[in-house]
Parts: sequence; structure tokens; C-alpha cells
Amino acid sequence: MSEKIIQTENLVKRFPVGDGEFTALDDINLSFDKGEFAGIVGPSGSGKTTLLNIIGSLDSPSQGTATVMGKRISSLSHKEAAQLRNLHIGFIFQVYNLLPVYTVYENVEFVLLLQNRSAAERKKAVMEALEWVGIENLAHKKPSKLSGGEGQRVAIARAMVKRPELVLADEPTANLDAKNAHAILQTMKKLNEELKTTFLFSTHDEKVMAYMNRLIHLEDGKVAKDELVQAKTV
Amino acid sequence: MIKFIFKAILRDKNRSLLPIIVISIGVFLTIALSGYIKGVFGDMIDQTARFNTGHVKIMSKAYAENKDQIPNDLALMDARELTTSLKTDFPTFTWVNRIRFGGLLDATDGNGGSKGQGPAAGMAIEIYSEPSQEVERLNIPNAIVTGAVPSKSGEALIGHEFANKLGVKVGDEITYMGTTMNGAMTFESLTISGTVRFGISAMDKGMIIIDIADVRKMLDMQDATGEILGYSKDELYFDEVARKVSNTFNAKYIDNTDEYAPIMLPLSAQNSMGSYLEMVDSFSSLFIIIFIVIMSIVLWNTGLIGGLRRYQEFGIRIALGEEKGHIYKTLIYEAIAIGTIGSVSGTILGVLLTLFMQKHGIDISGMMENATMMMPSVMKSKFTPELLYIGFIPGLFAMVIGNMLSGIGIYKRETATLFKELEI
Ligand SMILES: Nc1ncnc2c1ncn2[C@@H]1O[C@H](COP(=O)(O)OP(=O)(O)OP(=O)(O)O)[C@@H](O)[C@H]1O
Ligand SMILES: [Mg+2]
Repeated sequence: MSEKIIQTENLVKRFPVGDGEFTALDDINLSFDKGEFAGIVGPSGSGKTTLLNIIGSLDSPSQGTATVMGKRISSLSHKEAAQLRNLHIGFIFQVYNLLPVYTVYENVEFVLLLQNRSAAERKKAVMEALEWVGIENLAHKKPSKLSGGEGQRVAIARAMVKRPELVLADEPTANLDAKNAHAILQTMKKLNEELKTTFLFSTHDEKVMAYMNRLIHLEDGKVAKDELVQAKTV
Repeated sequence: MIKFIFKAILRDKNRSLLPIIVISIGVFLTIALSGYIKGVFGDMIDQTARFNTGHVKIMSKAYAENKDQIPNDLALMDARELTTSLKTDFPTFTWVNRIRFGGLLDATDGNGGSKGQGPAAGMAIEIYSEPSQEVERLNIPNAIVTGAVPSKSGEALIGHEFANKLGVKVGDEITYMGTTMNGAMTFESLTISGTVRFGISAMDKGMIIIDIADVRKMLDMQDATGEILGYSKDELYFDEVARKVSNTFNAKYIDNTDEYAPIMLPLSAQNSMGSYLEMVDSFSSLFIIIFIVIMSIVLWNTGLIGGLRRYQEFGIRIALGEEKGHIYKTLIYEAIAIGTIGSVSGTILGVLLTLFMQKHGIDISGMMENATMMMPSVMKSKFTPELLYIGFIPGLFAMVIGNMLSGIGIYKRETATLFKELEI
């Protein structure tokens, strides 16, 4: 459990605003072990999404370093960053962000197409992922026909289908009712335990926090508290 | 992956329908207009060749310089000998003599008086005195409204409207008054064998057609001719051929000192037909260029709008680990597929309309009542094989170029900003 999957050192992120700059992340030093189920919490605007975007190689630091799976984010080319996301990182968003023209099955399959997997492999992996989240029966529906809870399950299946080492979930339960939120979290916790996938959440939802083993409190772009907590068991 | 792209095109009508419609219309218009321009101008050129210029025309140099005045005093002499040598020198062409002449027609009322008079534009052609296809070339059998083609000396065809104006009909006698080649007055009694309507108002209102042997006697032009016209045996005009024949002929007969020496002019060197021919070509090219530019702009913009709508999709795909270059490539594939669908349907529609218009045309005889221009009265399109690609290729290109331009937006935006759209 000592292998670091994520490590940030003196990470700073500034955004140009008008004439000056706005510091969204200020001197962040964090590291995560493989298999963690951790949450970044904090008020709106504290920098949660910005941090997840950098870890997910969608953005790069202004200063300092972020190293994910041994790769320095700031030194990755577009191609290498895409490769990293493609093979190792799954994303789950607040809005499920499914591709509307494709069916549930195709949305999940798309990820594997990008990896040039064979048709047989794709079929097996997609069906398996849909089973994990309990929506095999929705395979041929279009995203517009799904409820919020179903949509988020598809998003989880899409993130998990390639068996990534790391899943970044940005407020995954914000649009769900309590019942669905609990179900989704239980699903993810189960995947975390069975597949040893590392999960990193951003949230200000108490329900989500209750499932975490570790909470990192961000305030104005700074780490205010980093605590290990007793997680609710599934 | 290609299959995935096609699925998206088929399912997302918003993405594909508008560009397909835009391209179809553009391609359709290009083809229909090109076909129509080609048809109309082609007919005009064909008509001009038949009635006026030939594919090549020989006149005396002096006659050629003043040909609007029909100066028969400057006509070619030794016409028979010249025609014979033309037939041996240029066997791929048919050679015929024609004489144009002016004069006055007078319809007698039978009591020594006159019931009508009018200026006539005369054309002497080889009707029965020489074996020729002139009657068919001028489409006389179809143009005849009443009566028949002259079959013996003393007979004439006149324009149907002309006959009405003079108050004469088939079988009536008219008197031609004019001047001979030598400037003497001449009168000739002629019987109307038939009336014709060519659909060319200028001719229908003042034309008289007489066999050339009669006219030679009438105008004292024994063994002389105003013009010798050459037509390629297949009756199709090819400018290069006509030019080559003219150059060969002129090289042989050139005589700078003799203003009666013959000179041969191809159609393109007569009546500013050359600029006409160029105009047809440049018109078509102009259309295609305008089309490509407009379509590219329109499609670029639909691409941009579509692109904006799709930033979310691009953001998701980037998050899933797709490279920007790959997204761009799939956009271009999509453009090719959509461009092909639009271009094919536009081409089919355009060709169908062209074929329809080739058969039916637009009748403009009403508008041409007072026109003096040599123009066919039914404007028809003409189908040529190039119509199959002149719309298709620009249609496809416009779509692909439009999308290449709008797709650059994917690169311009930072991944994170593109991705920000996801949070809204
Ligand atoms: N591209 C950008 N340009 C300028 N400022 C930005 C940009 N992205 C984020 N910010 C700013 O950085 C700060 C942190 O934003 P971030 O989205 O990370 O907050 P957050 O903690 O995720 O908030 P929320 O809980 O509302 O999602 C905010 O003040 C935001 O306005
Ligand atoms: Mg956020």
C-alpha cells in the first residue's frame, strides 16, 4: 500500500483574470496510495475541480509538479496526456456527459474502441461493466431515456470498463436523490474493494463524505486539513 | 470507428441534414445552371454556325472587311474552281456556296398595283441546283408553315410573318427588286413555294430563300459567290480544327496585294464569336468558383455552429482519452461522408433537371418578338458528362474545407477550457 499513484509537490495553479492573476491552487502537497477511496471537500470555488483536472491531465500546473502513475503532468505532450487518460484514468462528472447519439452500450464501448480492442473483447468488457453497475437491461437505450441514477451508472460503467487504475469523480452525486446517491456510492466502494481501483472524489455532499477513508479539506486553494476517517462499511 | 461515425451521422439529423441540404442545393444549382448555360450558348453557337458563319467561312478579303453591307460587288470569283479544290484539299469538311443579298419585295395586287412592300434579307443556298444538305442544315423541312421547298427555277421561300405582312400566300407572285453585282437595277418575278418560321424573329419577318442558281442569274453573279461555308462532316464545331483548317487554307491562298483574294475565317473569328465561346467557358468556371467560395463559407459557418454545439462532445471524448488529432480526423471523415451524400443527391437532381430541360426547354419566343439577335426561341439545357463532376467535386471540397477550417477551433482551445463547457 505504499506505492504512490498521485503525488503533488508545491503545486500552484493560477488563472489569468482581467489584468492580474487568480490563484486557484496554492502550494498543494499531497500524495495518494493505490487503492485509496478519498474525497476532496471544500466550499464552492475552493479549487476542487481545478485539482482534479490537473491530476486528470486535462490541465497543467503553473508551478510545482503533479505526478500521476509516475508521469509528470506538465511534461506530457497532448498525445501522451491523451494516452494516460485513455489507458489509466476514468472520469465521472456531475452531469453524466454521455454522448447523446449513442446507446448506453455504445457509450461504454466507445472507450474500448479508442484502445483498438477487438469486437469480442469489447463485448465481454462492456457487458461486464454494465453488470457491475446493474444496468445490463438498459444496454440499448439512448441517454435521453434514462433517469439521473441510471445515467450516472452508465457514466461509472464507462469509467470502469477499461479497468483504470484511477477514477476521478467530480461531484458525482450532486444531481441525484439520496437513494440513488447511496446506491452509486456503494457500487463504487464495491469496485474499489474488488478491483483495487483508486477513487478520488470532489464533493461537498455529507453523504459522499461518509463513505471516504480520507478527507482533504481545501479552502481558498490551500489544504486546510488532511484526515483519515472511519468509513461507513458497505 | 468509421461505423461509429456513420451511426452518429444517421442518428443526429441536426448534424447532417443542414449541410446535406446546403450542399445538395449548391451542387444542384451548379449543375443545372452549367447545363443550361452550355445548352443555350451551345444552341446559339450551333444556330449561328448553321445560318451565318459556318464552321469556317471563305470570303474575299474586301468582302470580309465590309460584310455587314453585303458587298456583292466584292464577291469571290471562280467559285466553282475554288469549291472543287476545297473539296479535295479538306475532305473532312463539306463545302457549300451561299450568297446573301438585300432588296425589296413587292406584292402585286394583280391590277398592276401593289398590296404590300417590304425590305428583304435574302439568302441564296444550294437547294436543288447542287446536291447538298443545306435544306436540312437550315432545318427548313421543320420550319415550313405552308407550302414546300422550291423545286424549280423561279420559286422562293419567304418568312411566314413576312408573307402575312405582304398579304401573300403560297402560289402568289411577288417581285424582287435589287441591284446586281455590277450595280445595275434588277427585277425578278418569283412564285412563293412556301412560308417558313425559324423561330428567329429577325429572319421570320424579312427572309427570302432562293436557290443559288436562280440568284446567280438574278444578280449577274455567274461563277461568283458571296461566301463559301465549310462544315465538318459530323456537323460539330471544334475550334482547334476550324483554326487549323483556316491557317492551312490562308497559308496557301494568301496574297497581300489582291483584295479579292479569298480568306478563310473560323467561326470563332467571326461576329465576335470567339469572345462568346470564351464567355461560355469562363461563365461556367466562374459559377463553380463562386459556388465553392459561398458553399465553403456557409459550410464553415454551419461547421462552426455545429462545432460549438459539439464542444461538449469533444470535451467528453478528450476526457475519455481521445487525441485532438483523432477527433479532428473523425470530423473530416464525417465531412467526407456528408459531403458525398449531399453531392450525390445534388448531382442526381441537377442531372435530372438538365435532362428534363434538354427535352423541354424554356420557350422565350414571347420575349423575343422584337429581337434582332440570332437566338433560338426555346432555350434548352445540354447534358455533358462533365456535369457529373463539376458539381460533385466542389460540393465535396466545400464541405471538407469548411469543416477543416471550423475544426481548427478544437486545437485553438486549451483542453481545460474546452472541457470547462462540461461543467455548465
Ligand atoms: N479557467 C479559469 N479561468 C479563471 N478562473 C478559473 C478558471 N477555472 C477555475 N477558475 C477559478 O478558480 C477557482 C476554483 O475553481 P474550481 O472550479 O476548481 O472550484 P470548485 O472547488 O470545483 O468549486 P465548485 O464546488 O463550485 O465546483 C474559482 O474561483 C474559479 O472561478
Ligand atoms: Mg467544481
